[in-house]
Amino acid sequence: MNPARNLARFEEIIIPHLNAAYNLARWLTGDGHDAEDLVQEAYLRAFRSFDTFQGQDGRAWLLAVVRNTCFTWLRKKGDQATVEFDEQMHSGAGESSHAESFLLNQAALGSLQACLEALPLEFRDVIVLRELEELSYKEISDIARVPIGTVMSRLARARKRLQQCLAGATR
Amino acid sequence: MNCETARLLMENNDPGLEQHMRSCPSCVLQTHARYYEAPAGLEQKIRQSLRRENSAPSPWRWLAIAASLLLAASIAWNMALLRSRMDTHQVLAASVLSAHVRSLAGTHLLDVISSDQHTVKPWFNGKLDFSPAVKDLEGFPLLGGRLEYLDSHPAAALVYGRQKHIINLFIWPSAATTAEVSETRNGYHLQSWSSGGMTFWAVSDLNETELRQFVRLYRRN
Repeated sequence: MNPARNLARFEEIIIPHLNAAYNLARWLTGDGHDAEDLVQEAYLRAFRSFDTFQGQDGRAWLLAVVRNTCFTWLRKKGDQATVEFDEQMHSGAGESSHAESFLLNQAALGSLQACLEALPLEFRDVIVLRELEELSYKEISDIARVPIGTVMSRLARARKRLQQCLAGATR
Repeated sequence: MNCETARLLMENNDPGLEQHMRSCPSCVLQTHARYYEAPAGLEQKIRQSLRRENSAPSPWRWLAIAASLLLAASIAWNMALLRSRMDTHQVLAASVLSAHVRSLAGTHLLDVISSDQHTVKPWFNGKLDFSPAVKDLEGFPLLGGRLEYLDSHPAAALVYGRQKHIINLFIWPSAATTAEVSETRNGYHLQSWSSGGMTFWAVSDLNETELRQFVRLYRRN
């Protein structure tokens, strides 16, 4: 395909998902400037590997690149991503003890942002992909390259943690 | 109740909502988590960088450019090397020829006079730090040998005859390969080659065909 047509096709299919790309990068990095740089980088990377795009969902395809770019950057930065994610560590007992005391009120909503930000990266990752981007388990499993079962258990733990955090914040 | 219903209930301030929200963090997230929108101008920046990327030569093209530059430099270098080697060759040919002429003009053609290769070859022992291959060649009787000094090296000169003609075969060790050249200078014919770390030069007033035949015989034996 000639370069101009290739670019036009890329812009048509991939550019519309800019908000999703930015939202994911922003949640993963926790910083607006970093997110902006990383999204730009991710778009270039996506464009360079556009030949691997075979007409699947453009948003999921782009988000995989964005997520990859962010994780690489975080790892380089020596962030928590360097620590291998330990399923056991994050599945500690008593997670559900406060879940029922979770109440939805203004205070809880106010701390939702803080609670989400405080989630470990791997939890934030799946929560954003599932609840904010509303991707399917299958799509998340493809993007994160983990089995669907892992996606589901991570999500379950992430939600519990969030409930605990919100409950703790409103008590 | 799904999240969509919950959203509607909430918008209408319905008390049934709280019950659902209590047990469904997904709803909370979907309705209340902040969704960051891309800052204004980011799209423009991306479009520009994509355009730059699209018009810039690809890394492969840079590689190709670098490769062709390297090739050109290498060709130039090799030409220079070849030229300097040819120059060396010319200088050598001149000194080989004057050694030949000197040997014929004076009285010093032979240090060892013998048609027996088993006499000539041992004669060089102790006089040179290498042992030249002395061969009996049909039609080119061995006359003897002497010491020479060529290309800043002590060299062996083997002398062969052909009717009234004299052939000097100069041999000395050399790390460099000598071009296989056949040439004519001042009516003399010269032929050079290298083999087994040795440089060979045959010179004679013999006609070119016969000198070639001599070289062929020597190299084959």
